[in-house]
Amino acid sequence: MKLYDWLLAAYPSRFRERFGAGMHEAFAEDYARSRARGRLAACVFLATTIAHALCFGLVERLPRAATFRSFLSVDVRDAIRSLWATPIITAVAVLSLALGIGANTALFSILNSLVFRPLPGRDPQRLVMLTSDGTMTSWTNPIWEQIRDRQPDFFESACAWSPNRFNVAGSGRADFVDGAYVSGGLFRTLGINPIAGRALTPADDVRGGGPDGQIAVISYRLWQQRFAGASDVLGRQIVVNRIPFTIVGVSPPGFGGLEPGQAMDVFLPIASEAAIRGRDSALDGRSSWWLRVMARLRPNQTLEAAAAALNAVRPAIREATLPPDHQKMVAGFLNEPFTLASAPTGVSELRNRFEQPLAIVMSVVAAVLLIACANIANLMLARAAARRHEMTVRLALGASRARLACQTLVESLILALAGGVAGLALAASGAALLIRQLGSDVATVTLDVPLDWRVLAFTAGASLGATLLFGLAPALGLGSVEPHDVLKDQSRTVAGERRAGFRNALVVAQVGLSFALVVGAGLFVRTFTTLMTTPLGFDPTRLLIVTVDQVPADVPLKNVAAFGQRIADVMATIPGVARASLSHITPLSGRNTTNRVVVSGGPALSRPAEQTAWVAGVAPGWFETYGMRVLAGRDISASDVADGDAVAVVNETFVRRFVGPQTPLGRRIKGVGFGKLDCVIVGVVNDAVYRTARIGVVPTIYLPMTQFGRVPSGFSVTAKLTAERVSIERSLTDALRLADPTLAFSFRDYTDQVRATLVQERLVAMLAGFFGLLAMLLAALGLYGVTSYSVSRRRPEIAVRLALGATAGGLVRLVLRRVVTMIGLGTVIGIALILWASKFIGALLFQVDARDPITICGAAAVLALVGLFAGWLPARKASRLDPTVALRG
Amino acid sequence: MVKPIALHILLALSDRDTHGYALMQAIREQSGGQVPVQTASFYRHLAKLMDEGLVAEATGRREADDPRRGAYYRITGRGRQVLAAEKRRLLDLVAQMKKIRLSPRKADA
Repeated sequence: MKLYDWLLAAYPSRFRERFGAGMHEAFAEDYARSRARGRLAACVFLATTIAHALCFGLVERLPRAATFRSFLSVDVRDAIRSLWATPIITAVAVLSLALGIGANTALFSILNSLVFRPLPGRDPQRLVMLTSDGTMTSWTNPIWEQIRDRQPDFFESACAWSPNRFNVAGSGRADFVDGAYVSGGLFRTLGINPIAGRALTPADDVRGGGPDGQIAVISYRLWQQRFAGASDVLGRQIVVNRIPFTIVGVSPPGFGGLEPGQAMDVFLPIASEAAIRGRDSALDGRSSWWLRVMARLRPNQTLEAAAAALNAVRPAIREATLPPDHQKMVAGFLNEPFTLASAPTGVSELRNRFEQPLAIVMSVVAAVLLIACANIANLMLARAAARRHEMTVRLALGASRARLACQTLVESLILALAGGVAGLALAASGAALLIRQLGSDVATVTLDVPLDWRVLAFTAGASLGATLLFGLAPALGLGSVEPHDVLKDQSRTVAGERRAGFRNALVVAQVGLSFALVVGAGLFVRTFTTLMTTPLGFDPTRLLIVTVDQVPADVPLKNVAAFGQRIADVMATIPGVARASLSHITPLSGRNTTNRVVVSGGPALSRPAEQTAWVAGVAPGWFETYGMRVLAGRDISASDVADGDAVAVVNETFVRRFVGPQTPLGRRIKGVGFGKLDCVIVGVVNDAVYRTARIGVVPTIYLPMTQFGRVPSGFSVTAKLTAERVSIERSLTDALRLADPTLAFSFRDYTDQVRATLVQERLVAMLAGFFGLLAMLLAALGLYGVTSYSVSRRRPEIAVRLALGATAGGLVRLVLRRVVTMIGLGTVIGIALILWASKFIGALLFQVDARDPITICGAAAVLALVGLFAGWLPARKASRLDPTVALRG
Repeated sequence: MVKPIALHILLALSDRDTHGYALMQAIREQSGGQVPVQTASFYRHLAKLMDEGLVAEATGRREADDPRRGAYYRITGRGRQVLAAEKRRLLDLVAQMKKIRLSPRKADA
């Protein structure tokens, strides 16, 4: 409510007296209503209300006589002239605005692409997502086939897809392209027409291929990048995981897939998954949840009506797709309802991951823009003070105050527009740079950030808001200029300056904001470095991972482990490789296998979350390669063969949770629910991170590769190197080719894999650090500006003091006293800000409290040093003043 | 011609005197949400209507009402004249519209 009082101040007092109470009431009522509709609605309401109140309030202040023509012809011309007359101030202002607006626009354009922009195609408002609980959900192909075959009963149409990384290299080093398995009706459901050739149709999406055999649609981007936009691309072949697909169409340039951030450059029919994955195919897997399902409502059909129609046949669909081994949960499975959620912007893993960090960085850059605005306001005020004489003469000659105020506003507007245009240019490259940082070589991120109307509106809004912020003060300041006084003021006086209060307050606010930003930067940088240096429980240096996504088709399933072992043995013989060990996945790879288990004689655990253990299949010697230690019992050995006794090695955390204080060796682990796990603990290894450093150590079971339950057809070999990777990469490639000419594989440095788990933390630390620094510099600039201005105004006073015997040191102290007060006040404001913000950023921090005293003290010290230096420069200048010159001049 | 929101203000006041927020709500209901009503723009139009002498502040506040709601407004005699003229104009327009036949076309044929 206080806020609205402030806003009403934009109106002339006459208007306020007349309508203030009613407007206040209306605002309160509407605000309560918008809050009832959710936080987003309230934010939108507040933003539009602020904009409206400011615009309309200022319009009310305008004299009715000021016509648009006189505005254009006189004010704009005069404004440009007067800006041109002070090129340095103008340049500094435009540059800092460009930085501020540019950073804001860059972040907003990313947020826009990730969160706000609707999917291309026809009428995206009618697209809905099939979920079970409102979040992103995957479904099995049997369920999808049921829905597909019945879709006319519920929707206009429905589609399904599953993003996938395809290897288009044939054999040897893998060459990955992001793509997706999509249902035949996908393009029609989205309403997207190919720019060349034809789209996939339901007729193509049948097992064994449609009338044209195995076909693919590629994206415009892939067409340009890999085929150089060749006109004869239709009918050419693209080899995906060694299966040739005929290209029948090219999707239009604006269509990059259904999941912002996830590129889709190759579209294959879902049915072709059987051809690519062979015996691992999930097409008939009733417990392989890999497809996302989206539907288009009929015109005027409501979400609820469609959901009701769908749920009416739910029992039949569920009955027909019952997963095996599901006896205990059958009831739950049958009764779980289908939910539909509106999805005009598609779905996105990236959105879920980065929405909050981006929002925080967005508020950081907004604060930087505020600080920049305060600086410019100070510059403009100083400029206005220097032009008091000119303004006074104009007033005396009969110009109206409103007219003069209008002109200073026009000057500000021109500055802001110039800053906005430059910012837009900066934003384009800034956004591209940021998006590169979002990805890693483990998961590439592709996000188009076009300048659509939302981004342009945002930039225009930011520029206008900035204008009001820094242009209003000088314009309103004119109201109190009295020609009589000012003209008299031209005579020499030794009085100190007046009316510096507002400018000092601006600087205090700047210091406060930048203090908060510096503390935030410190917290995020500490989070990142803590995570980077957290002990993983193994030694990640000089590890090279060779990943085989799919073993050659002629290797029988039961021999996959032996095949992998052979590859590992081949690698171990290469000079420069100390050892090489096989495992089904590697730690921190982002892939997980979990099992719910209990241990005989262990504590009673009932909740599913407590029963969950993470499982990895490893070969003998794997622990040694990773530098892990066997603490009790034995390592997995070559004698643990497929049909031998089932054994397991567990980590310390597993022992603590599942076994308790007794000896773990010899105890039996049994699976719960789905799990068929049944093995005996033969060893304990030290704790090591399995998922990410932030999650920390989880209870882990290491099984022999030979006994690993679910037969994987892909595996990883981790090699401990004694030489540089580049020097042996070649011989490694040759050796693997020799071992099996059809093998497809990829290399990755282990450190890259660790780094990939910290992308978000690194990004936030980097941006917060950069903008914290920038904010501090801007605040220092503000301090410098305000101090040197006040020193220049006080020249006569200082000269008199010097003439009366003041020492240089005493003068410096005199000037610095005020600087110290401003920094002190600013720090207090900053601490209050940080305390308030701590609840928002807490979730992003790791092992450091948002109110961490060390960080706060450190930031205060840095800021005080920088601020004192900024104040000391003009203070020193003042102390070197020659009193005779100053008093005579 | 009167702007839609101004017309709605006059229309709402023709029935009874009321205070600002109730007036805004009445317009939202009358227009079925077709006319966007935002506090700032609403009061600008209200001020204009008052300057033109079509609407005036009503004297005598109702006892039971909350003083925070601000003033009550009433339509003036001139306001009623304008409203009546507007009504005639619109009715004429409707009559004209009824005479012509628009051949219906398919939306996206």
